[in-house]
Amino acid sequence: MTAQEVRLCGLLLREHFGEVVEKVGTQLLRSGAQNLRTIIHETGLSVDLVKKSLMVLVQHGACLFSSGRKGPGSPTEYRSGCDRILRILRYPRYIYTAKTLYGDTGELIIEELLQRGHMTMSGTVKTVADRLTQNMEEGRSMDYSEVSSAFSKLVETHFLQRCPPLAGAGTADSTNPAPGATPATPSTPSAPPTPESFPDCYKVPHMTLVGRGKRQLTAEDGEDQRNAKRQKMDPEAHGDEGIYWQVNFERFHLHFRDQAIISAVANKLDQTSSEIVRTMLRMSEVTTSPAATCTKPLSANEIFRSLPASYNIPRPILDQYLTLLVDDPMEFVGKAGESGGGMYVVNLHRALANLARATLESVVQERFGSRSARIFRLLLRKRHLEQKQVEDFAMIPAKEAKDMLYTLLSQNLVQLQEIPKTPDYAPSRTFYLYTVNQLPTARMLLQNCYKTVANLIERRLFESKESKRLLEKSQRIEAILASLQASGAEPEQLTEVEEMITAPEKQQLDGLRLHINKLDSAENQVDETIFLLESYVNSTATSTS
Amino acid sequence: MAARGRSRRTLSFSVDSVGINRGESLPPTLQQPTPVFPVMEQKPLPLTGGEEAEYLLALKQDFRGAMRSLPCFIQPAAALRDVERYSDKYHSSEHTDGLMDWTPDWQRFPRELRIHVKKPARDGVSVTRSDAQLAQKKKKKKVREKEEVLLKLETLQKKEEQQSEEDDDNAEQKKKQEDDDADGEEEYDEEEFEEETDYIMSYFDNGEDFGGDSDDNMDEAIY
Repeated sequence: MTAQEVRLCGLLLREHFGEVVEKVGTQLLRSGAQNLRTIIHETGLSVDLVKKSLMVLVQHGACLFSSGRKGPGSPTEYRSGCDRILRILRYPRYIYTAKTLYGDTGELIIEELLQRGHMTMSGTVKTVADRLTQNMEEGRSMDYSEVSSAFSKLVETHFLQRCPPLAGAGTADSTNPAPGATPATPSTPSAPPTPESFPDCYKVPHMTLVGRGKRQLTAEDGEDQRNAKRQKMDPEAHGDEGIYWQVNFERFHLHFRDQAIISAVANKLDQTSSEIVRTMLRMSEVTTSPAATCTKPLSANEIFRSLPASYNIPRPILDQYLTLLVDDPMEFVGKAGESGGGMYVVNLHRALANLARATLESVVQERFGSRSARIFRLLLRKRHLEQKQVEDFAMIPAKEAKDMLYTLLSQNLVQLQEIPKTPDYAPSRTFYLYTVNQLPTARMLLQNCYKTVANLIERRLFESKESKRLLEKSQRIEAILASLQASGAEPEQLTEVEEMITAPEKQQLDGLRLHINKLDSAENQVDETIFLLESYVNSTATSTS
Repeated sequence: MAARGRSRRTLSFSVDSVGINRGESLPPTLQQPTPVFPVMEQKPLPLTGGEEAEYLLALKQDFRGAMRSLPCFIQPAAALRDVERYSDKYHSSEHTDGLMDWTPDWQRFPRELRIHVKKPARDGVSVTRSDAQLAQKKKKKKVREKEEVLLKLETLQKKEEQQSEEDDDNAEQKKKQEDDDADGEEEYDEEEFEEETDYIMSYFDNGEDFGGDSDDNMDEAIY
């Protein structure tokens, strides 16, 4: 939990949950597991506010609680992790993926679950049906069964999962519900049980929910609120009480990873090869565990049979494509045997490593120029090189090569390795070799990315704060315009209201909107890089452990 | 790195192997911190535009806007006002309505987080006020037991009334009406019965509880 991560998490919490939750959240992140008293004391907030913030954090899965370390009588401890909060950056991508896979219904289901943290199936179905009905034409409404079927599909493909049930969470002496048999000793709980350790994780409950979406009556705001409140307070039991669902981020990440591999193959080779790789990945979706190094071997016959119908390439051509893929230096596809016409695997971890390497190279290229990038790539391939060798291999004049190497060295992208000839490390009798270590460099760039996003968010908040008065004015005028239009005003009135914003103010507003959109867009783009580097770093962690 | 040890020209590393030839001088040393926004030799690439990027942008901004209106966006009622306004008495209760729209499943939370606030605007006021009044009393060391017992009985009675009424389906309208009634009534009671004076107690602010109370759900102005 580096300082940059904590800063970014604080900003994300502030934007989405308010400043109170930000204070409590950063306190938890900085100081590890604490009980309620400590949090209240350290943050200096009132008891009620701290309790509410903790509830919000637990509801959204950002904070876990467990019984205290000192035994059954000690107060519950709360701990938080950066990972879950950093996912907030990726929410738009999750929603968009759900839209591409399952249409508008899927998109709204995921969006509701991301906004609320945990929800029951019946609650989600009702809210989503209401929202869909709002956007439909008059007289048409969305049936609950359609939304339920979309929900079930999401659960079947593991995009949604049940929240792990908490055994005796209310009592102070609750033991952590570990999947295996737990000894009676109240030792410090190890990693909390993953949702997947429970057998019913992906089982859709039997739910009695019949009806259609309700359209919100466009009454006055007060009435609307009361209606909404009354709806929420309706205690109808639908047979799935106590079963809460959350979004399964890991599954989305696997999907993004597959997409990254497929698009890399499409860029490097051609469309047909990417279709072949896509087929292979689709066939191994269910058989591959999330942390696997490569997919299960698939025979060429199986691949041939499973290719989509639009791609009727003859069998020998398929074999040629597969051979090409295997021989490609990116090593996305490997050959694992000869039976069945050739057994092929997709090398997941190696693909991730190559994608991360390409990212690093591109970063060096964009920051320092193509010749520095050439030196960087050279060092990645040849591991250790002396100064003279770098100049020769890269075919760059000595003075410039030295300059570039020193710039890279000062930015910590390249490291110096000393190999002594004599035990006293005398400088005239030591080899100095330049080298690049991919994993530490990737970690460093990942931290840079976090810092970048935090800076982008801060700048955006600064810009909005600078023009706060103007923004409020424009919001008020938009509200007036909307209400005038709804009540059918004449065009002169509308133009009169519009002219309340002067032309230079309009220009300023446009410029502001442009800046804010750019900053937001940039955050999304940096998050794509963050995803690649994070997946790479995590894949190496699991393979070495 | 500079020459050490009686101005000898030897450096700590071998000059040849690191590539500095004779006759070349080292670059000048920096005497001040690097500039905050250094000039970039390579300009960064433009952002990728396109339909997908724009849709993602719209999704992101919508999501942020939606989160602000949900009950999980916690904002303490802004107690920092430059000038106290008469309308604040009636405005402050509006903000806190969103908080209890969300009824969490208490089974999933530790018991200590339970806030038994059935009606935030009401109970928040009464709890903090009665706490504040009790604290004031303890500080002043004037224990008027009769007044305290009366007060507690009254607030408890009102809480019970609210709880029983909540179970009705049309509780909302009634609650709001009772809100205003009971609010005025309670204000009247608390103000007047304290210490049997003719003056409204909160006029006399001895500054002891300055900044000590929780400042949300202010029904009265502080002078």
